[in-house]
Amino acid sequence: MPIIQLEDVSKLYGFGDATTLALDEVNLSIDKGEFVAVMGPSGCGKSTLMNLIGLLDRPSHGTYSLDSKPVARLRQNQAAKIRRDTVGFIFQSYNLLPRLTVLENVALPLTYKGMTLNRRIKLASQMLERVGIQDREYFLPNQLSGGQTQCAAIARALVNNPKLIIADEPTGNLDSASSRLIMELLADIHKMGNTILFVTHNPELTRYATRVVYMHDGSIVHDEKTALGRVANTARKVLYNMPATTEEDDLAGVSALMKGLPDKSSIKSKRGRKSKAVSKSGQKAKLLRSKKSIKAAKS
Amino acid sequence: MKSLTRGHLKAGLGSVRGAKIRNFWTMLGVIIGVTSVITIVSIGEGVKQQISGQVHRMGKDLISIQPAQLNTGSGESKVSLLSGLNIAGSLSAKDVNVVNNARGVDYSAPLSAVGGIAKGDKSYNQGLVMGTTGSLPSLLNQSLRYGGFFNDQDEGRYVAVLGAQASKGLFDNDIPLGNTFTFRGQTFIVRGVFNEFNVTPLSEQTDFNNAIFIPYDVSQTLSNDTAPTYQILARPTDPKNTSQVVATLKTQLTKARGSNNDFSVLAQNQNLIGSNEVVDLLTRLIAGVAAISLLVGGIGIMNVMLVSVAERMHEIGIRKAVGATNSQILSQFVIEASVLSLSGGLIGIALSFLIELLLRAFTDLQPVITWQVVVVATGVSLLVGIVFGSVPALKAARKPPIEALRSE
Repeated sequence: MPIIQLEDVSKLYGFGDATTLALDEVNLSIDKGEFVAVMGPSGCGKSTLMNLIGLLDRPSHGTYSLDSKPVARLRQNQAAKIRRDTVGFIFQSYNLLPRLTVLENVALPLTYKGMTLNRRIKLASQMLERVGIQDREYFLPNQLSGGQTQCAAIARALVNNPKLIIADEPTGNLDSASSRLIMELLADIHKMGNTILFVTHNPELTRYATRVVYMHDGSIVHDEKTALGRVANTARKVLYNMPATTEEDDLAGVSALMKGLPDKSSIKSKRGRKSKAVSKSGQKAKLLRSKKSIKAAKS
Repeated sequence: MKSLTRGHLKAGLGSVRGAKIRNFWTMLGVIIGVTSVITIVSIGEGVKQQISGQVHRMGKDLISIQPAQLNTGSGESKVSLLSGLNIAGSLSAKDVNVVNNARGVDYSAPLSAVGGIAKGDKSYNQGLVMGTTGSLPSLLNQSLRYGGFFNDQDEGRYVAVLGAQASKGLFDNDIPLGNTFTFRGQTFIVRGVFNEFNVTPLSEQTDFNNAIFIPYDVSQTLSNDTAPTYQILARPTDPKNTSQVVATLKTQLTKARGSNNDFSVLAQNQNLIGSNEVVDLLTRLIAGVAAISLLVGGIGIMNVMLVSVAERMHEIGIRKAVGATNSQILSQFVIEASVLSLSGGLIGIALSFLIELLLRAFTDLQPVITWQVVVVATGVSLLVGIVFGSVPALKAARKPPIEALRSE
């Protein structure tokens, strides 16, 4: 039984002419215990997908069931309760509250559960011990290094014992040593039986994943199972051909990752068949949009 | 939930401590509002107690006859009460006799005012020179510090009794008994000096401390019978019959004055009602104005909370991401606003106690802060926080989590 089941999920931003299609009829099913890496160029909808799965956002169309319950049309408060009890978030920018100590930050989700202060502190402290920064309990987040801060954020995500952990580029702000530390920690958690989704730009990190999903322009273009400890096949192509993007590619909005992918039309999927039918003007529009996103990213 | 509320309280106090300067300015509106409301109400209360104290001293059965009709009830008369001696017409020596001989009246004394400057060691023009009779001290229940009051045998003699301030204003020595001063070309001998009268603010009673008392007939002679008699005080034989005596005096005076109804006869307790009405009216008026400042203070709190919500949108996003429901966010910000305005209210209360002490030390006012006022002020400032805090709090609570999380 899959823990996450997305069917034809779309997400639109804006109105009228300014409408952007962030997710384009995505179908995705993730089983319990999977460790999924989501890869793709900036603006391809990875974060939107994560936000939808984590119930921070609602899909414009399509159905979504989390833990076999339909959750696409939940009210804000119901979504909040599910976030509290079943989902743990890890962000690229840590997102700890700067005025609370590390311990208080970790205990925050428990606060909203209505747990007593003593139990909160005890559980939070245990969780900090597990991520290895118990000696930093009473520090403020800005007194920690990036790696330690992310460890605290992971402790916060874990403190409610959630089934699903969503990490949006957890290592994006970290150096390689800290990245490894964080990924080892996530791998540990995975071994305990949690389902983990993480977004990354670093092909090297697919070593930790059991499955890699590639996205482009709001669609999932490739999805492969991979063995733990091995860089995923598709990602490897990118890794060993680096740097693969030329200036022309940059202008055209083609990322190194995309070059490494098998030809879009050859993918045997519903999406693949559709993309064949995309007219020339449609492709042009897509190209233009990618250019825009690159410009936005550069500025 | 209990621990959550405590957490919010802690967070609220933390944010009050966190941005001290800004929060002080925020609270200032509430502080000023609460301080002024409490101070005004306490002054009003103090004046009321002073007046009733005075009435108590003079006795509730003291009857006061004054020219001009007093219509308690219409707004106009309340204003005319404020002007003190409302000498529209005046009473005559005949009226004085009528009162003195009326059935049920034990004794009475007129009060007439004579204009002019008295010259003793120093020239003195601050007070009134009043003509009266020997019954006055017992009518006012006021004792003399030195000497004695003139009596009926002294009628026609140029003798005087001074109020405490008048004594200081006329003479250099502390005990001016036997000293003389001149007034309207006549030399008066000082017979006695009154103890200090309690001053009652806003009361229509003249300040007797500044007055020079001379025999009534002397005052009439000196002024060729033109000195206006603006008040007659009388005490009934039996205090229980006060209202009957008032009625008797009314009919007899009306007859004596040729059916003219241009005077009033009031017992002290009726007087008290009039004064209290005036004080209440004024207190309510000024407290209302002060309450507007409380409202403005509340709007100030709302503004700061709106800014605070906008500034902390990212924090709200994080809290929502880890599972805070809308109502939890709502209560967090409402509690924060309430802590802010309640602190302002408490500071205001402390400040008004300080002002009360200062007023008691440096003015004649004797403000009284009742516990009811303190409770109401606390409640109102809490209410201000809840009411004006809820708008920003709702704004914070309703923000979709992803939007809140994106804002920096």
